[in-house]
Amino acid sequence: MKNRTKLIRAIPVLLALLALAGCGNVGSSSGSGPSAGDDSGGGGPTITVGSKNFTEQYVLGELYAQALDANGFNAETKLDLGSAAIADKALQNGQIDMYPEYTGTALVEIFKQEEQPDTPAATYQEAKKAYADRDPANTMLQPAPFNNTYGIFVRKEVAEKYNLITLANLAEASGDLTFVCFSEFLKRPDGVPNMQKNYEGLKFGDVKIVNSIGGPIYQGVLQGEGDAGVGFTTDSQLASDELVVMEDQKNIWPFYYPAPVVRSNVLEENPKMEEVLNSVSESLDAETMRQLNAQVDIERADPEDVAADYLEEQGIVK
Amino acid sequence: MANPSLALLQDLSSIENPKLIEWDWISDNFWEDIVPAIQGHIFLSFVSVALALAISLPTGVLVSRYRKAYPPVTFVTGLLYSIPSLALFGILISIPGITIGPTPVIIALVAYSLLILIRNTVAGLDAVPAETIDAARGMGLTERQILFRVELPLALPVIVAGIRIATVTIIGIATIGAYIAGGGLGKMIFDGINRSFPTMIITGAVLATVLAIVADLSLLGLERYLRPWARKRKT
Amino acid sequence: MSGILDVFKRPDFFELLRQHILLSAAALLIGIAIALPVALAIRNTSLGAALAVNIGNIGRAVPSLAILALCQPFLGFGFDTALVALTALAIPPILINASTGLREVRRDIIDAARGMGHSGSQVLTRIQLPIAAPVIFAGIRTSAVQVVASATLATFIGGGGLGELIVEGTQLNDTTILLAGSFSVAVLAIITEVGFGALEKAMTPKGLKIAQKRGR
Repeated sequence: MKNRTKLIRAIPVLLALLALAGCGNVGSSSGSGPSAGDDSGGGGPTITVGSKNFTEQYVLGELYAQALDANGFNAETKLDLGSAAIADKALQNGQIDMYPEYTGTALVEIFKQEEQPDTPAATYQEAKKAYADRDPANTMLQPAPFNNTYGIFVRKEVAEKYNLITLANLAEASGDLTFVCFSEFLKRPDGVPNMQKNYEGLKFGDVKIVNSIGGPIYQGVLQGEGDAGVGFTTDSQLASDELVVMEDQKNIWPFYYPAPVVRSNVLEENPKMEEVLNSVSESLDAETMRQLNAQVDIERADPEDVAADYLEEQGIVK
Repeated sequence: MANPSLALLQDLSSIENPKLIEWDWISDNFWEDIVPAIQGHIFLSFVSVALALAISLPTGVLVSRYRKAYPPVTFVTGLLYSIPSLALFGILISIPGITIGPTPVIIALVAYSLLILIRNTVAGLDAVPAETIDAARGMGLTERQILFRVELPLALPVIVAGIRIATVTIIGIATIGAYIAGGGLGKMIFDGINRSFPTMIITGAVLATVLAIVADLSLLGLERYLRPWARKRKT
Repeated sequence: MSGILDVFKRPDFFELLRQHILLSAAALLIGIAIALPVALAIRNTSLGAALAVNIGNIGRAVPSLAILALCQPFLGFGFDTALVALTALAIPPILINASTGLREVRRDIIDAARGMGHSGSQVLTRIQLPIAAPVIFAGIRTSAVQVVASATLATFIGGGGLGELIVEGTQLNDTTILLAGSFSVAVLAIITEVGFGALEKAMTPKGLKIAQKRGR
């Protein structure tokens, strides 16, 4: 009985210690996941790099983080932010210092702009301005030179059966087809509403929602759970001869060029960041990105390793 | 830019008919990804249980004394308990000032354990026979001494039984926390779903289950150790 | 607040609500249809009961997200997969409660019934089941609440349900949709809890209630 009394006495002390240890940890531990540079660091200023939670974002996040790490910064990563909105919130309250965002996504989702510019350059300028004008301000650096826009794809047999080549063809046949997409795409002004506005008669017979971006939508269409689906043009899966990507003759999509969005005050304190981040962005193009994504999505490599190999190959990290 | 040429033709058989387990992936990523995910998960669950206990024990003692407060306390904590976790995470991150990451996950996990822990603390204290307390009082123990030397030690097995249920519940719900960037094994499950990569899903799910079972069994051991009479009484 | 009401007026809200209820109800019913007969079949063997309780306990330790995610590679996406997963989730609490409830009916009561000339099946329907009913219903209640809550996660594997609104709200950063989804799932779970609680009370035989009161 005496032991037990001791045990009881010890509990509050133990709990308080644990709670303290816990609270102390909450801020610093960014959970698990691929993380750059736990080993090196270099003792420079700490920059927390975020990303959204799909393959290309993981790869971009790792690329930027590792490049910073190799150039005198101490990069930490927080690469599992659920959506643009969540990533933006994390950026605004300083949980992360930067993350890669697509120019069009910034205008549509973050700044809720209704009309989209006609050129990639104007899209970037408007997004950059919108970021700069808010408080606390962010700086959208030079985008990587490739557009990761939506790709509406159809399973090969279905495309052959209905003779589908363009989105206009798809609109005509849509009543017979099942479309697989994530919730957001149905509602986003640049998503299905945009398709319906530009391609008359587009109304899918059935819509299946799978709230996991990437793999599952391809898997669903390939396995015949649906006929058509939405992907992104730099997705490695789109480059399959089992899928046909519908041509968008009216160019209905905004431009989505990925660029690092950095908290302006962090950038002012660390002007060297810009050069490092730009060197990564400049080295990329659509085909390169697709291959990097393929290494993760198809060859099952770890985004961290994929990024490390690429940076070394490019001579950005020695 | 309407339809960028797709130079690289991909063989999608790995996505159309994925292999269930690729052992190579597990061995390649064991130290880098799997172990930190387990650690993250243990961290989330452990901190949550500890914080929940720190709240529930005093609350349980208080409401066992002021009985009028017990029904409202169980009502509120019961309400919290019945909110589905994805919904509670959603509500939490919509509150200004609370950001995604481990913090809201821990808040939610603590909220879920309150009902079980308070209920078991009160039940444990209630089960202490009145005669025992009278005897202690007769021996000249103060109320405080009675609480710490008599009531709580006798209530401990029931409290530990509560901790056991709370821990298993928390380890399970913590996986969903990955949806709001809480980290842990749930991230592996969600990433596995996103990449159509069964190996990751299975690894995350199996490890989370094993973690829950190990925690359950160790706490069961502790409960049995604290309640030696229970083993004998069983007919 | 009015924005939240607008979400409830959306035509797809009812579709999602319908899917959510259908998914939960079907999973619960199938779960009962599997767990109860098993518990009945093994009620008189201590090995079977121990096995059922232990398997049930392990089953209960499997996180619900893990069950849903685990079914996906085997069964693909959609409602059916979610149904299988939720059924698997519904079984353990019912199995545990039913087998312990039936086994905890005191031996002397059963012997007395036997002595009065009751056959095995009469003992079951007149003695064991009525006495065990509250415990069995408590298991069904636990299951029901768990299934309603976990059906929220079906959206990650394309199973539909109200979770879709929560995810949509998070993806679009639309707090109104997020809260509308969260509140409707919470209310559904609370209704389930309270409803099954009432059922549990109603299912407690009068004699047991009197005994419980006296016991206090």
